[in-house]
Amino acid sequence: MKPDITLPKYLALGYLAVVIGVLTTVSVFLALGWTGERIHATQNGYRGTAMAQIQFPAAERALKAANVVPEALDPASPDGDKATDVYQNVQVLKDLRAEQFGRVMSSITEWVSPDEGCAYCHNVENMADDSLYTKKVARRMLEMTRHINKDWKDHVAATGVTCYTCHKGNPVPANVWFADPGPQKDAGVMATNDGMTHPNKTNASSSLPLDPLSPLLLGKETIRVAGTTGLPAKPYGASIQTTERTYSLMMHMSTSLGVNCTFCHNSRSFSDWDQSTPQRVTAWHGIQMVRDLNTTYLDPLQPVYPPNRLGPLGDAPKVSCATCHQGANKPLLGAQMAKDYPELGGVKAP
Amino acid sequence: MAYYQNIFTQVQVRAEAPDMGVAHETIERTGKGFFVHLFGRFGNAQIGPIYLGNLGVVSLLCGFIAFEIIGLNMWASVNWSPGQFLRQLFWLALEPPPPQYGLRIMPPLREGGWWLIAGFFLTTSLLLWWLRMYRRARALGMGTHTAWAFAAAIWLYLVLGFIRPVLMGHWSEAVPFGIFPHLDWTAAFSIRYGNLFYNPFHMLSIAFLYGSALLFAMHAATILAVSRFGGEREIEQIIDRGTASERAALFWRWTMGFNATMESIHRWAWWFAVLCPLTGGIGILLTGTVVDNWYLWGVQHGIAPAYPHVFPPVIDPASVVGAVK
Amino acid sequence: MAMLSFERKYRVRGGTLVGGDLFDFWVGPFYVGFFGVTTAIFALLGTALIIYGAAIGPTWNIWQINIAPPDLKYGLGFAPLKEGGLWQVITICATGAFVSWALREVEICRKLGMGYHVPFAFSVAILAYVTLVIFRPVLMGAWGHGFPYGILSHLDWVSNTGYQYLHFHYNPAHMLAITFFFTTTFALSLHGALVLSSVNPAKGEDVKTAEHEDTFFRDAIGYSIGTLGIHRLGLFLALSAVFWSAVCIIISGPIWTRGWPEWWNWWLNLPIWR
Repeated sequence: MKPDITLPKYLALGYLAVVIGVLTTVSVFLALGWTGERIHATQNGYRGTAMAQIQFPAAERALKAANVVPEALDPASPDGDKATDVYQNVQVLKDLRAEQFGRVMSSITEWVSPDEGCAYCHNVENMADDSLYTKKVARRMLEMTRHINKDWKDHVAATGVTCYTCHKGNPVPANVWFADPGPQKDAGVMATNDGMTHPNKTNASSSLPLDPLSPLLLGKETIRVAGTTGLPAKPYGASIQTTERTYSLMMHMSTSLGVNCTFCHNSRSFSDWDQSTPQRVTAWHGIQMVRDLNTTYLDPLQPVYPPNRLGPLGDAPKVSCATCHQGANKPLLGAQMAKDYPELGGVKAP
Repeated sequence: MAYYQNIFTQVQVRAEAPDMGVAHETIERTGKGFFVHLFGRFGNAQIGPIYLGNLGVVSLLCGFIAFEIIGLNMWASVNWSPGQFLRQLFWLALEPPPPQYGLRIMPPLREGGWWLIAGFFLTTSLLLWWLRMYRRARALGMGTHTAWAFAAAIWLYLVLGFIRPVLMGHWSEAVPFGIFPHLDWTAAFSIRYGNLFYNPFHMLSIAFLYGSALLFAMHAATILAVSRFGGEREIEQIIDRGTASERAALFWRWTMGFNATMESIHRWAWWFAVLCPLTGGIGILLTGTVVDNWYLWGVQHGIAPAYPHVFPPVIDPASVVGAVK
Repeated sequence: MAMLSFERKYRVRGGTLVGGDLFDFWVGPFYVGFFGVTTAIFALLGTALIIYGAAIGPTWNIWQINIAPPDLKYGLGFAPLKEGGLWQVITICATGAFVSWALREVEICRKLGMGYHVPFAFSVAILAYVTLVIFRPVLMGAWGHGFPYGILSHLDWVSNTGYQYLHFHYNPAHMLAITFFFTTTFALSLHGALVLSSVNPAKGEDVKTAEHEDTFFRDAIGYSIGTLGIHRLGLFLALSAVFWSAVCIIISGPIWTRGWPEWWNWWLNLPIWR
């Protein structure tokens, strides 16, 4: 059959529009960092359940570059004079020998204040002097580090932590957090929306609640929201608002660890432990650990800090999953740095 | 060689003046109507006239009030900054009252009061518009199928924003106004109530949603394919079957062994489209009121597949004796 | 038998793409054609394999039957039959059956002197299916990224695939697809209702005309797209829904691996806000 009417030019325009659309989409993704490489995938569930971690090789390389572990200093002899005999005003590392103590001090300088040096915490005229707030904080942080390595093996296992895990050469770790009141100053009669609906780093740019960390990682409010029975058992369980708060916390955990929800959960039943991965147990202990650290160590330091170190609501800097993990599902990609530093594990001097 | 498939109108036939509509002696319409060439490429070129009427005017006014309340509250949430309003527009919301207010008729304006007022005006607007659709059909002596289809959508809207929250005893269960926030609500709703995919009425609703797209694609494609035989003159084809209807019917009969008629395909269409919000509304209404966790409900009723474990068994660490609480 | 009153005059030879007159016949109401034969072969084989897969699986419960794709470790190679190989063969059968069906529709169109709108529309649906089980897995490097064949198991796949991107509703193409799906359903209800309300008018009224239809919509919203236009619009909306569904999944994984909410950072960080 011969065509009796020619293809209208509008059809050609249509094709052109499709081509332009595709090119625009591709260029948006190119601009967003797509390198054209094929993803790497790790399966972590039964086949066909779509439980898998996916990442671009470029992102893996970047993560690797961001997690180079500094070389450990030569081990210190566990013999010799006790630190308390050589140095004055030693309050935490009393169990160490002087050589071990010196090694910790050198390491801290390298890990925490490589540019500022000893003077960041110490009055160099009198090293025993406690006048600088940074020294008081550092002392508490040493206690915290030992506490983590000794009492939180459920979360940190044998890998442990050192100052470097969080600090990575920064006097203040890059991923501390403060209570986030959001942009709204004075609502007046207008809606406050209960601290929801503004994108930030914690909620991974969603419009989920701004600050799930204050109630859930400093406070100990309930994270579990899903119904526990098929039919309603209670008059009223978790609200939609608390559910969104938990969702926001999970967004924080996912982005902090560089993993997606299926790293821990089979999303067909988020709450079901039997269908979860072993990582969820580790994460659960992590939440308990962070709550412990924030309530016992970090929040109480508030009076010690100068105002410029406090958050918009005057609260102390606190830790979250991101503080240690910094985008890696194992901090420093699982490098067992702490084993080179028995001094930070609360070792007893022989 | 490509044969012209009637995707666009190539030659527009146009009356000297816009059509003022049937019964123009008795129904007072606003505007004289005008033509837009580009519209005519795809469908009718004529825009207007329109029948305003009291119902329409009040409905639009109520809709506008709701829109303003929502917009101004969103703007206030970024300290009235025009730049931030635009930047965060998709993120901004007007949230319902928090849980502690239960079903309080008038919680503080700043804590959900505005949401209730906006919801009232939006609902009024929709109900008035429903009346308008009903009356416009009757004014022309037509059936009221459009109004009843619209009622199905209003049913879903009322379930989400009114009926279910009332049954749950909390306005806080309702959907917030906002682009991303209502998506967050949807996701949180599914998580809180144990995975909506296991809700059979959600399954039905999705099936009717996809089914509607399938039906419209099938029907529209068929009509366009027989448009060279005048297939788009559906009313005439229903009353007096022509070759367009016959070919359309035979196409499906030969393809899948079954065909609708020119009238019955529109009944299929109407029911598929209407059942989507109808079943969806039922699914929402049952959630939280009758079923608290759809996944567990599914397990109880034997629909959840069991997957082999690929990890050593995991147990709830909080259930371990001596665990940190 | 099995013929409509007017059917005989339409049952003429010709219009086939392949096979000439060889398969140019009907079985009951069904037209066969070369592609009817290939459809039948693919469909029967695929169905038989699904039943076989169910038979070697743990359950005959229709909701729970699950024929899963291979583990990711098999990459783009063949997996043993009982470890995803079945899924691979069924996928080939399904694709073969769908494409055969579309080509059979083309032959029927030619026989009836109709445009090719239906097979074109169907090929968009095939595109979406092939995107899910072939294009995307190939781009991601493993068949294991395809969705499993099972009523509830495919929903579990959808759930986990969505949560691989933390919050799938923020996927812009997914937003478009959903919007098109809702709009299609909305438009379908309006179209169905309008035609029904014209041919089933108020009691005692005559059947209405296309002029009444136009008037009704002009009265209501100031515009009526018209009898031809609504079908163009409907086809456009329905195909857009399917097309954007395919886009939303093909970009998830092959070119975007993070949470979809974060994708919007480009907007939040535009220099104009500074």
